[in-house]
Amino acid sequence: MVSFQPETLFHIGSFKITNTLIDTLLVDAVLVSLCVMISKNIKIIPGLFQNSVEMILQAFYEITESVAQEKAKKIFPYFMSFFIFILLANWSGLIPGVNSIGFYEHGKLIPALRSTTSDLNTTLGLALVSAVATHTMSINALGLKEYLSRYFSFNPINLFIGVLEIISELTKVISLSFRLFGNIFAGEIVLITVSSIFSFLFPLPFLLLEVIVGLVQALVFSMLTMSFMAILSTSHHEAQAHASS
Amino acid sequence: MEIIKNFGLDPLLLGAQIVNFLIIMIVLKRFAYKPILDVLKKREDSIKDGLKQAEEGRQLLDEALEKEKKILQNANKKAEKIIKDIKDQSAEIEKSSQENTRKQIESMMTTAREQIIQESKEAENRLATKVSELAVEFLQKSMQDVFSGKQQKDLTEVALKRIKKVD
Repeated sequence: MVSFQPETLFHIGSFKITNTLIDTLLVDAVLVSLCVMISKNIKIIPGLFQNSVEMILQAFYEITESVAQEKAKKIFPYFMSFFIFILLANWSGLIPGVNSIGFYEHGKLIPALRSTTSDLNTTLGLALVSAVATHTMSINALGLKEYLSRYFSFNPINLFIGVLEIISELTKVISLSFRLFGNIFAGEIVLITVSSIFSFLFPLPFLLLEVIVGLVQALVFSMLTMSFMAILSTSHHEAQAHASS
Repeated sequence: MEIIKNFGLDPLLLGAQIVNFLIIMIVLKRFAYKPILDVLKKREDSIKDGLKQAEEGRQLLDEALEKEKKILQNANKKAEKIIKDIKDQSAEIEKSSQENTRKQIESMMTTAREQIIQESKEAENRLATKVSELAVEFLQKSMQDVFSGKQQKDLTEVALKRIKKVD
């Protein structure tokens, strides 16, 4: 049975090299290759590859602009990076051999590769990056005083709301990380179970479903991060002015 | 703590994943988003410039067409005026040439008439002379056997005088 914990393949000193970490490196390699291809072949008149990349980036930039307006330029790299990284990580679990090729240890299969988003270390790490970046952006946009006034006040009602806000910020991290982790981990379990019952044809609809789940989860994580960033970077006055207009 | 252990949370792995993502994000930002967005911006600017230049070109073309229209109108007016002037001039020239021709013909006719009169006078004179000579010759031949030499001479002189009187 698949465990929540990623399987350790070997150690470098006290640092565990897990199958999810190897998968992360695989995703990194794909992304770096993509970067190299883009930066080397970029032209003012695009080819098919550049055109496709431009189309995707422009579509995502327009989504960011529609939500964050003038803050889009700062938010876009986070939004896009979360999306691409999570999407590739989610889909990497669907490559034939991932989760199924490995070695046996004490009668248990240790897969050489496992989707990195089925490891809570990755999803929590991403959620923490999202939270820290969101709050840093908020401090930069509003200033420390206004930022703190969201959470601390001499007014007892506002103070109470502030406490709720702090809890909600913590919850955001937990919900972001566990939603992604839960969905992808559950998907893997489903695929492993179905594949162990019927090896051919029957897992195909589930694979297709997991492709969609992977895309949706990547979008959910990145869109939520983007909206949190946009909301927290907007001051009360700005929000009121926007609402009244 | 038990739950965290069950989920396999490891601070080192967590840190590694955070660092990994930050590095990947920086790489993507530097080598993918920035160049692509720059190219898009550049292309957008060049399209805007192109449209602006096309608009300016169209305005210039409109102005040039307007100018061309005005120039053509002026040229047409001038051409019409020139044609009218030429027509007037040609009519005048035609009229004057007709007049000249008529005068020349009249003068030629007058000259011819005078010449004819002159020639007919000369012919008459020559005819008269010839007739006189013939008359004298006829008279001489007819008197040759009838009158003496002196009488012939006198008669001839009288006849000549009378013929001259007739002239």
